[in-house]
Amino acid sequence: MENKKIIQFRNIVKEFDGQVVLKSIDLDINENEFVTLLGPSGCGKTTLLRILGGFLDANEGEIIFDGEEISKVPPHKRELNTVFQKYALFPHMSVGENIAFGLKIKKMNDGVIEQKVMKMLKLIGLEGYENKDVTKLSGGQQQRVAIARALVNEPKVLLLDEPLGALDLKLRKEMQYELKRIQKEVGITFIYVTHDQEEALTMSDKIVVMNKGEIYQVGTPVEIYNEPENRFVASFIGESNIVPGIMLEDYKVKFDDKTFDCVDFGFKENEAVDIVIRPEDLDIVERGKGKISGQVEDVFFKGVYYDVTVETVEGTSVTVDMEVVKEHEITSADGKEKISANDFYVDIEDMASLDEKEIIARADAQAWNPETDDYIAISKIEYDLKEELGSYSIKFSTNSGTAIERKIYVIDQPYVRNEKANEAVSAFNFYKTVEEISESVALDTDLKTWANAQGWKLNNEEESVDIYVSYDFDPEEVKEGKYKVTFSTEGREFKVNTTDFVEVGTEVDLTFFPEDIHVMKKRVF
Amino acid sequence: MKKDKRIFGKFIFSSAMIFFYLPILYVVIFSFNSSKSLTSFSGFSLEWYKRISESSEMMVALYTTIAVAVIATIVSTFIGTISAIGLFKSNKLIKRLIGQINDLPIMNPEIVTAIGLMLLFITFKVERGLLTMLLAHISFCIPYVILSVMPKIKSLDENLAEAAMDLGATPWQALYKVIVPQIKPGIIAGALIAFTMSVDDFVISYFVSGRGVKNLSMVVYTMSKRINPSINAISTLIIVAITIVLIVINVAPVIRRKIDSSNAKEKHFLAKKSKAPTIMVVAGALLLFIFSFNFFFASGGKYEGKTLHVYNWGEYTDPETIAEFERETGAKVVLDNFDSNEQMYIKLANGESYDVIFPSDYMIERLIQEDMIQKLDKSKLDFLDDIYPGVRNLDYDPNNEYSVPYFWGTVGILYDTEKVSEEEVAEQGFDIFRNPKYKGETYLYDSERDSFMMALKALGYSMNTQSEEELNEAYNWLLDAVETTEPEIVTDEIIDNMAQGRKALAIMYSGDAAFAMSENESMAFHLPNSGTNLWSDAMVIPKNAKEVELAHEFIRFNSSYETTIKNSNFVGYTASNEEAFDFLRTDKEYFGEIDAYTPRVGYEKDEIFHYDEEMRKIMANLWSKVKILATSK
Amino acid sequence: MKKISHLAVPYVVWTILLLALPMVLIVFYSVVGEGNTILDVSFTIDNYKKFFTDKDFLIVLWRSVKIALETTVICILVGYPIAYFISRSEEKYRNLFILLVTIPMWINMLVRTYAWIGILSENGVANKILSFIGLGDVQLIHTQGAVILGMVYNFIPFMILQINSSLSKMDNSLLEASQDLGADGKTTFMKIVLPLSLPGVVSGIALVFLPSVSSFFIPKMLGGGQFFLIGNVIENQFITVGEWSFGSAISVIMAALMMLSMYVVRAIEKKNKVDRGDD
Repeated sequence: MENKKIIQFRNIVKEFDGQVVLKSIDLDINENEFVTLLGPSGCGKTTLLRILGGFLDANEGEIIFDGEEISKVPPHKRELNTVFQKYALFPHMSVGENIAFGLKIKKMNDGVIEQKVMKMLKLIGLEGYENKDVTKLSGGQQQRVAIARALVNEPKVLLLDEPLGALDLKLRKEMQYELKRIQKEVGITFIYVTHDQEEALTMSDKIVVMNKGEIYQVGTPVEIYNEPENRFVASFIGESNIVPGIMLEDYKVKFDDKTFDCVDFGFKENEAVDIVIRPEDLDIVERGKGKISGQVEDVFFKGVYYDVTVETVEGTSVTVDMEVVKEHEITSADGKEKISANDFYVDIEDMASLDEKEIIARADAQAWNPETDDYIAISKIEYDLKEELGSYSIKFSTNSGTAIERKIYVIDQPYVRNEKANEAVSAFNFYKTVEEISESVALDTDLKTWANAQGWKLNNEEESVDIYVSYDFDPEEVKEGKYKVTFSTEGREFKVNTTDFVEVGTEVDLTFFPEDIHVMKKRVF
Repeated sequence: MKKDKRIFGKFIFSSAMIFFYLPILYVVIFSFNSSKSLTSFSGFSLEWYKRISESSEMMVALYTTIAVAVIATIVSTFIGTISAIGLFKSNKLIKRLIGQINDLPIMNPEIVTAIGLMLLFITFKVERGLLTMLLAHISFCIPYVILSVMPKIKSLDENLAEAAMDLGATPWQALYKVIVPQIKPGIIAGALIAFTMSVDDFVISYFVSGRGVKNLSMVVYTMSKRINPSINAISTLIIVAITIVLIVINVAPVIRRKIDSSNAKEKHFLAKKSKAPTIMVVAGALLLFIFSFNFFFASGGKYEGKTLHVYNWGEYTDPETIAEFERETGAKVVLDNFDSNEQMYIKLANGESYDVIFPSDYMIERLIQEDMIQKLDKSKLDFLDDIYPGVRNLDYDPNNEYSVPYFWGTVGILYDTEKVSEEEVAEQGFDIFRNPKYKGETYLYDSERDSFMMALKALGYSMNTQSEEELNEAYNWLLDAVETTEPEIVTDEIIDNMAQGRKALAIMYSGDAAFAMSENESMAFHLPNSGTNLWSDAMVIPKNAKEVELAHEFIRFNSSYETTIKNSNFVGYTASNEEAFDFLRTDKEYFGEIDAYTPRVGYEKDEIFHYDEEMRKIMANLWSKVKILATSK
Repeated sequence: MKKISHLAVPYVVWTILLLALPMVLIVFYSVVGEGNTILDVSFTIDNYKKFFTDKDFLIVLWRSVKIALETTVICILVGYPIAYFISRSEEKYRNLFILLVTIPMWINMLVRTYAWIGILSENGVANKILSFIGLGDVQLIHTQGAVILGMVYNFIPFMILQINSSLSKMDNSLLEASQDLGADGKTTFMKIVLPLSLPGVVSGIALVFLPSVSSFFIPKMLGGGQFFLIGNVIENQFITVGEWSFGSAISVIMAALMMLSMYVVRAIEKKNKVDRGDD
C-alpha cells in the first residue's frame, strides 16, 4: 500500500519577538503513522504542533492537510484534535460531558453521542466512569479521558503534546503501550511531541529529531539510533561514545592516533568527522586481544548489565608539593584574638587580578576569638607587590591590631600542555597546617583552591576542563612534611555496557566490529 | 471577528474609564473654581486652597486621617502577619474558630460592625475619640492583612522554619530572616489594603469617634449638605498625594532594578541588600509628619495647652472667629457638629464630654430637667444686658441661669416670586404645600418637629399639643402633602438649592431664608398667619464639661458685638446681641433689605417648643413613616 | 516565644474582645427592654416583633434589597465585559488596566460620591450633556437612579477585579481544547469561559451586594433626605432617635440576612467549585 501524505509542512518559519524559533521547516507526514517530534525543550517541536493545531500562526510557509492549504483555517474547523500537555479537561464537566463536548458542538443526536462516548470509554478502559468528576480522577485516568475526548471526534490526525510528562515512570511506561495500541486500533495518524528519547523509540513509526528550530534527522527509530546523522542526534538518542576523528579514505577512519576499518564511505579524503560507538557495541577483552587499550575507571551496576568506564588515553596531569607546616597562628597580647595565614605562590601573569579578597583566600587568612570561636574580620592588609619575580611580605591585621606577617612568592609557573588532548593544566606548590587539612570538609575542592589548580582547552582558553585530584597521604593522619598532590584531567573514556563484571583498575582492551563504528559529518551547532 | 471583539472591549473599557475618572477630574477642576458654584466654572482661583489651609478643622481632619491610617496600617500589618503565621501553626480548632470570627468584619455589613464597636465602647465606658477610632481601624484592618498573608504562608514549604531552626536560628530569627522575606509580597499587599481601608473608612469612624475627632470622610459627610468647594480642594490634594505615592510605588522598583543591575558585578552575595528602606522611609516620613503636627499648632496665650470641645450645629459659625478665639486665648478649639438636637442629646447622654453646646429651646428645657447642664457663673456673664430683650428670659430658662442665646428666629415659607405670587402664599399659608399646582416644586425640611409644627399650625392646633388625635391629623396632613406635591425632603442643602432657585417653595428657618434671599433677589419669605415656631439656640455648659472657665470665655466671646456680626453675617441667622442685631437689620450692606432677618416678635399664634418626650417619640415614628412613603414614590 | 503558634495568642484575645464581643453586644441590646445600660435588664423580643409587624419597615428592607440587587446586576452586566477585556489583554497592559481600575478606590468614597452631586445636580455637567443631545432638563440628583449610579460607581471595581482574577487564573489550554474540539469563539465563551468564571462572579456579587444593602451615605448624599434605606433606618435609630434596642434588632436582622445570603452564595460556589485542590 502506497503511503499517502496527509500533512505537508512547507517552509514554515515562526518568530517570537524577533527570535526565530522555527527556521524553514519542511516535513511530510503520512497517513496512519505514529510520528514523534523529538527534541530538547525550546527546540520548536511544540511550536510546530501548535501551528498545526491552529493555535499559532506561522510567519511564513504553508501547511497542506489532506491536499488543502489550511494555514488560514481557524482551529475549530480543522479536522484534527489535540491532547494537551496538562490534559485541559473542563473541570466543570463530568467525564462523559468532557468526551461528548465535541459531538455536542456538532449537534449530533443524543443517542448517537451516548453510543460513541460509551465506545470511547471502553477503548480507554474507563467504562462506568461517565458521571465521575474529572478533577477526582488520577493522572493516568485524566490522560485517557483527554485522549478519548479528542478521538471521539474521529479526527484524521491526533496531536499529542507531551501527554505523558505529568505521569510517574511506571504509569508512563504503561501509557506508552496503551497509546500505541489505541493508535493501531483506530488507525489514524498520531503526531506526538516529546523530549523523552526512550518514549520516542518505543512508540514511533517515524521520529523527527529537532533542535534549535531545525529538523536534524527524520527516520525510523532503528535508523535514528544506529545511524545518527550528526553528533547532536547521536548524543540525544541513547547513550553513546562520540569521538572526533578523521576519515582517511572510504572504509578507513582514524581516531586517537589509530586507524580502524569501518563500513562508512562517501566522505572527502582526510575529512574531519565525528565517530559514534554505542556502549553496547563495545566489548571488554583481555589486554592484548582488543583494538584499544585502557584501564577500568568506574563500574556501576545497572541491573541487567554493568556500566563500565574505560580510560583509553590518560589525561593531562601536574604534580605539586604540599608543605605541611606547624600551627602558626599568632595570639594577641590580651589573648582575646588569634590570627593565622599561609605563605603562597602566585603566577606573575595572575598578578593583575590579585585583589585583597583573592589574597585573603589564597593565604587563607583568618582571625578568631579563641574563647567563643567567633570569627573576626580581617580589616587591614599591608603589602608591597611588584610585577616581578621574587618574594614579598604581606601583613594581615584586625581592627584591634592583632597582626601576622607572611610571604607571597611571585613565580613564573610553567603549565603542562597536552597537544593530543588539546588541553593544559597548571597548579602551584602551597603551604598548609595539619589542622587545616584535617578540618577540611571537602578536601578535594580545598586542595584545588589552595594549589590554584586550573585546566583549560588549548584552542580556547575560556573553556575550562574538569580537574581531578589525587594524593597518597591520609588526611586524618597527616604530619608536618612535604607531600605530592597530583591534578589531572579526564582523558579519553569509553562507556561500555557489558554483562561481565570487571574490577576497577584492571588493564583491559576494548574491541568492536567495523560495522559498530558509525561515522558522521561534523556539523556546526 | 476577533478584531471586532477587541473594538467592543476597548469601547466599553474606555467608557468605564471615563465613568471612573470623570468625577475625579470634576473634583480637581472645580477645586480651582473662583466661585462657589459646583456646576459652572467661572474662572481660575486658589481661593479654596487658601480656605482649607486656614481651616484648622480640615487640617486637623487631614492629619487625623493620615495619622490613624499610618498607625493602624503599621500595627495591623504587624499583628496580622505574626498572627497569620501563628494561626497557621495552631491546631485546627483554633484556626477554624478564629478564621470564622476573622471573617466577621468582612462578611458583615459595615454599619453592623460599626454599631457593635460603638456599643462596646459605650458599654465599657471607653471615652470615644482618637483612641477608639484607632482601635476600630486596627480591628477591621487585621482581617484583611491576615487574608492576604495567609495564602502566601500556605504556599510556603512547611519545613522552612524547621530548616532555619535546624541551622541554629531561634524561632524569632527563623521568623524574620526566613519566613517574613518569603511572604513579603503578601505583607505588602496586606499593608496596602489596610491603608486604603483606613483612609477610605467613613461608616465605622462615624460611629466610634467622639469629642469632635473627625477624619476626612466625616468632614466631607457633614459638609456635603451645603456647597463647599473646600471639599474639592482638599480632595484634590489627596488625589495628588495618592498619585505621587502610586507613581513612587510603581517606578521605584524599576529604578532600583536598574541600579541593581548596574552594580551587580561589584555586589557580593553576602552584601546587605538595601531593599527594606523604601517602605521604612515612607513610614518614617509619615510618622514625622504626625509628630510635627502638634508643634505646628502650638501658640501662646493664657489658656495655652488647653482644648475646648465645642458641639455646635453644622455651618453655624464663621471659622474666622474660631481662629480669632484661639489666637486670643491660646487654647485649641475642637469643633464637632450635629444635625439635630436629638443627635446632640444622644451623644451627650452617652457621656461624651463637651465644654460648650448649642441646643435649641425645648432641648435646653429637657437638659435642665435631666440635670445635664450646669448653672452659669453669673459673675462672668456681665454682658447679659447686651442681649436683645426679646430672646432673654424665655420660658425654657426664665432667668437665663443656664443659657445665653446665640441665634434666634422663626420658621416660614421661602418662595420664588417668579413662580408663586405673594397673595397666594399669604392666602394659603402652610397649606400651599398641599397644592397640586406645585407638584415637584417643593422642599420640606427633614425635621419631625418643624414638619409637625407646620401641619399642626395649618390645622389650627398648638404645636405643643398633647393630643395624639391631633398628631394623627397632622400626620395625615403631611401624608397628603407628600402625595400631592411630591416634595424633596432635605436638610441644609435646601439653602443653596433655594439660593439657586431650583424649586418654587421651601419650608425654611428664617436665618437660612435670609441667606438664600441675599444670594437670590427673586426669593421672598412669608410667615403664615396661622402662626409659626419662634425658636432660639443658646449656648450652655454641660455638667461633665472639663474646661468650664474657658467655656465661659467662649460664651462671652461669642456674645460680643464684633463676633456676633461676623457669625450672623456668615450664616444669615439673627443675632442675639442687641446692638449687632440693630445694626445688621438696618444696614443695607447687610440685611437691611431682607425681612426674613428680623423675626416676628409678639404674635400671639407663634409659639416656642416645649419638651415632651412622649410626643417627640410619636412624632419621630410618624415622621419616618412619612419619609418611607416619600421614598417609595 | 517557645512555639511559633504562640504568636497567634494576642490576636485570639483581640478577636474575642474587638470582633466577637461587639456582635454579642448587638444581640444583647436587641433583646433587652428600655434603658441604655446593662444594669437593669429585662429580656424581650418586642423589637423584632416591631420590625416584622410594621409593613413600613418591611417595605424599606425590601426596597434596600431591590436596589442592591439592581446595583449588583448592573455591576455584573457592565463589569463582566470590562474584566473580560482586561484578562484578554497583553500582560504588560493588563497590570496597567488593573491599576486604572484600582486607583479610584484609593480616593475616599465620600469624596467620589460628593463629586457626583455636582455632576448630577440641576445645572450640572450631566444635564448639560443631556440637553446638548436634545434630551432636555431631567431631574437626576435625588432620584433612585442617582442612588444606584452612586452604588455602581463605588462598588463596580470589586466586581471587575474578582471576575478578572478568576478569568486570568483560567488555563489558556482549556480555551484551546474547546476550539480544538470544534467550538467557535461564541460557543467556547458560553460553554467554557462563562461557567468557569462563575466563582469570580459569585464573590463579586458578595462584594457588591453586601455594601449596597447596608449603605446609608450614598442614598443620603445622592438620594436626598427623603431617600430612606435600611442603612438609614439603623443610622437614624442610633444617631437621632436613640432607640438602640430597636436599632440593634434591625442590625441583627440585617446581619442575619447577609450571613444567610453569603451562606447561599458560598453553597452555590462550592457546587460549582472548580479550583482543583486549592481551598
